[in-house]
Amino acid sequence: MSKHMIYLHPTPVRIWHWLNALGIVTLCLTGAQIRFPEYLNIFGNYRTAVLLHNTAGLVVAISFSLWFFYYTLGSRKITQLYVPGVDDLKRGVLRQAFFYFFLYFFGCPNPHHATPDSKFNPMQKSAYLAIMFVLVPLVSLTGILLMNVSPLRELVIMAGGLKLLVGLHFLMACSLCAFLFTHVYLTTLGHTPLAHTKSMWTGWEEEEDHGEEAEKVHQAKPLADPALVRVKASS
Amino acid sequence: MNTIKIPLIVALIGMLAIAAGNVGAGEAASATSGYSYGDTTDKNGNCLSCHGDVGKVGKKMFIDPVKYTHTNHARIGCPACHDAVISGHAGSGMTTAKTGCRQCHDDIDVEYARSSHAGKTDCNGCHDPHRVAAPTEISGQDINRMCATCHDTYEISASHGKWLPQADLHIEMLPCITCHTGSKNYVINLYIIKRQEGVRFGKFDLASYGELKKEAGGRDILSLIDTNGDGYVSLDELRNFNRNPQYKELRLQGMMTPEQVTHSFQILDNRRNCTFCHASGPSAMQTSTVAIPEANGTFRKVAVEKGAVLDALYATPNFYMLGGTRNAMLNKIGLVIIAGGMVMPVGHGFLRFLSRNIRNRREDRHE
Ligand code: HEC
Ligand code: HEC
Ligand code: HEC
Ligand code: HEC
Ligand code: HEC
Ligand code: HEC
Ligand code: HEC
Repeated sequence: MSKHMIYLHPTPVRIWHWLNALGIVTLCLTGAQIRFPEYLNIFGNYRTAVLLHNTAGLVVAISFSLWFFYYTLGSRKITQLYVPGVDDLKRGVLRQAFFYFFLYFFGCPNPHHATPDSKFNPMQKSAYLAIMFVLVPLVSLTGILLMNVSPLRELVIMAGGLKLLVGLHFLMACSLCAFLFTHVYLTTLGHTPLAHTKSMWTGWEEEEDHGEEAEKVHQAKPLADPALVRVKASS
Repeated sequence: MNTIKIPLIVALIGMLAIAAGNVGAGEAASATSGYSYGDTTDKNGNCLSCHGDVGKVGKKMFIDPVKYTHTNHARIGCPACHDAVISGHAGSGMTTAKTGCRQCHDDIDVEYARSSHAGKTDCNGCHDPHRVAAPTEISGQDINRMCATCHDTYEISASHGKWLPQADLHIEMLPCITCHTGSKNYVINLYIIKRQEGVRFGKFDLASYGELKKEAGGRDILSLIDTNGDGYVSLDELRNFNRNPQYKELRLQGMMTPEQVTHSFQILDNRRNCTFCHASGPSAMQTSTVAIPEANGTFRKVAVEKGAVLDALYATPNFYMLGGTRNAMLNKIGLVIIAGGMVMPVGHGFLRFLSRNIRNRREDRHE
């Protein structure tokens, strides 16, 4: 039985990920204080919370744009990585859900194996698609409008009014926060609780080959560009 | 009107009126201040026959009769303040003494003298005695125009922007006195603003009486919003007004305004603390009025159903004070969403814990 190390997350992606993580956590906390100032005072005073929220919001919005252009223009892998295919939708999502909510408890191996060309399992693909292409852009855009109400008044009116923007911004932020809990929890489902976190930090994912069953799945998905997978022998 | 020849008599009557007022303060008709009001016309008509006509006295000496006549000052009459004006003063070039505000507004004078604005300007710097308005009948925008004669709006935006995010928005949406004078309570006044005529993305300005009268087709302006004519604005009426495509060039601007006006101008440190406004709680956020312009330049405040500014969407679609006017229903939906996010960690985590032995056995088999 061998263990592989595969290089899953290139450096820019990792920097981007942790920047976003910090940004989004800051946004959730400051946002909570801004909406519920009587109950929460995490950052000393309201003004600091607002300023931090604005800064973190800009950082996330800019990093989102960079990510978007990096994947769409730079490496064009965006559809391959993030858009679930017909097969994913027909069987993949179900298979993955069945694994998480059933097989997992019996110690069965994950049907999906992360590779640089197929980093995400079908459930992840669907979730990330919704988040990266719907939630984050919309929450950023409404946020930018709310940061500049007076100068962008015309757009605010066209969008349906301040209240609508605030409502959307708040509910989408709650959805992102909900995602965050699920996301962090799912990272602990690797072969060790911190395995996925470590790989997002170092870039290298430890790959365990679980007997034949898993091997089959692995081989059923030929890599588009085997050169991308640098396989390090380990143990 | 046969005037012009009797200004001296009028002046005398005026003086008598003041004397009488001072002597008989107790039993005077007006409960509060002790001046006999009476009919306005006989006290001002003579003077206004010249001073109400730009052609006769020129712009500098012109008193706008429409703005003047409704004021309480009109009820006490010109001579009450211009008792030294002599007949035939027209063209004489002489200046005459004017009764100081203090004579009648002693309490305000004392209060103002103690404020940090004392010495910066006197009463006339902010008030034109010929067009004064009671706090309830003046718009927030007009109050800010008062200050803007000396305090340039852009400079104020810039200086406040050093500590206040979106200072331009705050300066537009708040009367200066909300932050620079104290008051026990605050109300949200909703003003009808209108896009500049004929300009595609024109600025919104306070809609005038004439414009709104036209919009209402000559009927009472309030009927634009108060469609059932009961003199009270319900949340549904507000929502309908805001969503009516016919009125898309009209909007409601909310302004948080002090309920009582004081003259203790000062820099209030707690206004630097945003949660003075940006926190829910003060019952004031529940209270709002719609301000309807009147022909004489003042405003009539019409009561609005409680909770208008806290409505989720359409009662006041463009008024949101961060935190302060959040909607309770949305909070609940948000909570449900976040709770949904906890289902996975809690539910799955629990099963994971229960199944730990099964999983470990299976994994051992793999080794
Ligand atoms: C409440 C007191 C008060 C009343 C009532 C009043 N005035 Fe005056 N008026 C003043 C004061 C004070 C000034 C000086 C204003 C200044 O220096 O800015 C003044 C100034 C004037 C001036 C000089 C031009 C100007 O506007 O500064 C004219 C003309 C005048 N008043 C006419 C009238 C006439 C006519 C009436 C009645 C229709 C009248 N006033 C009623 C207090 C009053
Ligand atoms: C015949 C027209 C006429 C009538 C009536 C008249 N005024 Fe005047 N008033 C004038 C003109 C013209 C001036 C400008 C004087 C000047 O330029 O020297 C003036 C100036 C004034 C001033 C400014 C003087 C100053 O101190 O600078 C006051 C105050 C004033 N009038 C008050 C009154 C009052 C009060 C009455 C009524 C009792 C009255 N006027 C009636 C024509 C009139
Ligand atoms: C002769 C007495 C008298 C003088 C002088 C006087 N006022 Fe008044 N003023 C009154 C009375 C009476 C009222 C109405 C009752 C009240 O609000 O006190 C009034 C009301 C007002 C109002 C509220 C508006 C309204 O229509 O009720 C303002 C603002 C005002 N005065 C400002 C001034 C200023 C500024 C001066 C000095 C230029 C001044 N007054 C001089 C008697 C006077
Ligand atoms: C820095 C500007 C400023 C100065 C100076 C000022 N006021 Fe006022 N005053 C206001 C504002 C703003 C209001 C509220 C709006 C209104 O009613 O015009 C007001 C309202 C009033 C009222 C109506 C109050 C009520 O509750 O009915 C009176 C009377 C008055 N002022 C008198 C005076 C007198 C007398 C002086 C001089 C001692 C003076 N004001 C100086 C700004 C000023
Ligand atoms: C006639 C001119 C004039 C008008 C009108 C006026 N102010 Fe002022 N104000 C001044 C001057 C002059 C100063 C001192 C210089 C400065 O700080 O800009 C001042 C200073 C101030 C200050 C700073 C006071 C401090 O303690 O340092 C405040 C606050 C203020 N004004 C508020 C207002 C408000 C609110 C209004 C309108 C209701 C107003 N002013 C209308 C002339 C005016
Ligand atoms: C949100 C509350 C708020 C509003 C609205 C507001 N101010 Fe102030 N203002 C303050 C505070 C707080 C300070 C003290 C700032 C400091 O010490 O740095 C101040 C300072 C000032 C000063 C003295 C310092 C300077 O910036 O020149 C003036 C003058 C002034 N304000 C005028 C105005 C006028 C005029 C308006 C309306 C156009 C206005 N303010 C609206 C809160 C406010
Ligand atoms: C005197 C009351 C008051 C104070 C103090 C105040 N604000 Fe505001 N704030 C308002 C009002 C009113 C609005 C505009 C509401 C509207 O028209 O939608 C507003 C809007 C805002 C907005 C725009 C977002 C939105 O709701 O559309 C931000 C951000 C904001 N305030 C932050 C702050 C911060 C930070 C501070 C403290 C440094 C502060 N405010 C102090 C009353 C206040």
